[in-house]
Amino acid sequence: MQTFHGIGTTADWVVMVVYFIVIMLFGSYFGRYTKNTSDFFFGGRRFSWWLITMSIVATGVGSHSFVKYSAKGFEHGISSTMTYLNDWFFIPFFMFGWLPIIVYSKIRSIPEYFEKRFSPSARFLATILLLLYMIGYIGIGFLTLGKAVIPMLPEAFTIMSMTFPITLMGAIIIIAIITGIYITFGGQTAVIFTDLLQGFILLFAGLLLFFFGITYLGGFDIFWNLLPAEWKLPMADFNQPANFNFVGIFWQDAIAGSIGFLFMNQGLIMRFMACKNVNEGRKAAAINILFVLPISAIVVGNAGWIGKAISVVSPDIVSPSVSPDQIFVVVANIIASPGMFGFIMAALTAALMSTVDTLINATAAIYINDVYRPVRKFLKKKAISTIENDRRELRVARYASMAVTALGVLAVLAFKNFPTVYEAHGYFHSTLTPPLVVGIFLGVFWKRFTPAAVITTFVGGVALMILGARYPGIFIAPFDHGIEMNPDHPYSYIRALYNTLVCAGAAVLVTITTHWQRQIISTIRNKQNGKTIINTILVVTIGVFFIVLVNISGMYVQALSAIIVIIMVPLLVTYYVPYDEKVNTNGLTANSINIARKLFKGGEPNDEEGKKVLVHFNVVSGDESVIRFSNKDMDAMKALPGDLVYISDNRKWMGGLKSIHAVYGHPHDEIGKVYITADQMKHGLFVQGKILEAEKEM
Amino acid sequence: MNFSHTWLPFFYLYGLGGILFIAGIFITIKAGSFDLNRKDHKKWMWILLFGFVWYLMMHALMIWAALDIISVYTVPIVLLGMVVVFVVVTLMFRKTKRV
Repeated sequence: MQTFHGIGTTADWVVMVVYFIVIMLFGSYFGRYTKNTSDFFFGGRRFSWWLITMSIVATGVGSHSFVKYSAKGFEHGISSTMTYLNDWFFIPFFMFGWLPIIVYSKIRSIPEYFEKRFSPSARFLATILLLLYMIGYIGIGFLTLGKAVIPMLPEAFTIMSMTFPITLMGAIIIIAIITGIYITFGGQTAVIFTDLLQGFILLFAGLLLFFFGITYLGGFDIFWNLLPAEWKLPMADFNQPANFNFVGIFWQDAIAGSIGFLFMNQGLIMRFMACKNVNEGRKAAAINILFVLPISAIVVGNAGWIGKAISVVSPDIVSPSVSPDQIFVVVANIIASPGMFGFIMAALTAALMSTVDTLINATAAIYINDVYRPVRKFLKKKAISTIENDRRELRVARYASMAVTALGVLAVLAFKNFPTVYEAHGYFHSTLTPPLVVGIFLGVFWKRFTPAAVITTFVGGVALMILGARYPGIFIAPFDHGIEMNPDHPYSYIRALYNTLVCAGAAVLVTITTHWQRQIISTIRNKQNGKTIINTILVVTIGVFFIVLVNISGMYVQALSAIIVIIMVPLLVTYYVPYDEKVNTNGLTANSINIARKLFKGGEPNDEEGKKVLVHFNVVSGDESVIRFSNKDMDAMKALPGDLVYISDNRKWMGGLKSIHAVYGHPHDEIGKVYITADQMKHGLFVQGKILEAEKEM
Repeated sequence: MNFSHTWLPFFYLYGLGGILFIAGIFITIKAGSFDLNRKDHKKWMWILLFGFVWYLMMHALMIWAALDIISVYTVPIVLLGMVVVFVVVTLMFRKTKRV
């Protein structure tokens, strides 16, 4: 396979360095709006849909990167787009199930949902799985970044007569340091605004590259006719080859990946939490999936298609044997002029950095919310003032960001031996998402789903997944849809189907047998030696799980051990974990969203449709939680005292950066005026003399 | 080109995906979180159904173009037409809402 080094000119490097300085200054500028941990992680729940949409573009396109889709575009053609065009199926579940729940329940992380919905032990396990997922994702991001920049770097550099080879890991470490800088000091607001800029730039850069490519080839007709017929199809062959087939990728991406991305990607969830309300979140999701993703699919894959067309007409310019992961850089270098190539490369690396920095920020949020705070609570640390606590958490969050960056670099080691980034990502998604995906999905949409079931999904499901990974020819083969097993990387994609089925199977089995578990535990509790029995079950369960985990004995013993885990774990959870279905599902499942809204507001929601009003503000002293409008403005908004209001700077292009949420106070008589306190003005970043727009939330 | 590369993935995607999509709408309506008595939710129903047809048409047109049944230029023209319909109907919903 042909690989490259030293591509690019001095002009390209100058453009790249300037680009990165501008981006970092831009991020640092908005970083000054980070005042507390809420701003650091969630951007203060204030932004408009368009800002979040563009921010999601940079995150999404960065993760589904130029490198991996160009690689598949080069190897297989237009079907590289299929991963981008299969996310709509779960959107009803997301828009009307998960999104309102995460906003109205005021959870700050996915593990926190598991605690509220199930139990602290479910939260603990979810935290472990989610941290593994997030750190793995960061590792994939770093690996892609490394592979993107390596072709531009020389094979070695010399300092004081000593020659140092440039390695993939060396490049990744340098990138990790640069990435860590502004995320550590900027926070979510900086990330959102940096991503907004990068979202536009990378769409522009990708489309520009397509235009250059088509021009280079002599026009669209020539490009289209140069592509082999199979390369023009939008989907891969149903079940071949093993490294790129439709059915495997359907289960890995359209099912596990889509639910994983929409339901458990903390980075994306935090984007939606930064929206000013649920409806804005729905708009952001809809516009992103309907219109931006198809454009993004062209943006990220076209270098591969152009590369394929050039390789057909001029194999001496682009050899068919070019390393697929390097095709983007190779093609960009051929068709773009010096300086422009630097700009395209800067956009590519910046997009990847967007993904990575979002994930680092999100993982730090999980650390603070699901490790730091519970541990402090457990250790019963003495209470400190809110301001001091917030300052301390912000400091810890920044240290956590640095630690997560380092772990992300280490995670690269697990993925760097896959032939392409695409396969590494596919394998990763198929393996790590199913337990959490099943846990969240059934937790939201099935009221009967119990802590025993979710913990069994995490423990028993994982035991069966380990067996699948260890004996793919036995366990995964029945679900392979005719896909050939590659012994080096068996069933990279279709394993998602097996993993999802075993996790869902364990979950359903345990849920529908809840009554029996309660009966058995009731019997055990009534026995004199009940505690001894349950302790014995605990020891046996740990023992058999250990057999599966560390690969002791043969396949049959391990399979039997996994079954014992699935039988025993629900009994242990039923014994140890208190659970009240009514309390634990209140406002936390799709069928109790109206209750969630009521709890969110602290009273009955007011859904009467009103108008938005424009007002000037007067600073007054008084209750910090309310703002006061005139009677007439309240009437126009159909608002009553106690309803929730969102008020923002009227300049639409600010996207809600200068805004606050508050409660309507008792009205006054000064039409066109709103009375706010000095603190509210400071928090909303409002500027004297500027008009504000107010709207009732509920 | 054989069926397993052309239409089989399409039928699998929109068959199984369609079942999941309809199940999503049905479950959220049944749960009460998707309330078709609310005007804004009716608009969302239109957007959801449009989205499904939008993607289905996109893939079908791309397969026809790859098979040379239609010109590749027909794909963006039809899709742009769909966008126009989407925008007009969505704006009509907004107009209704104001009344």
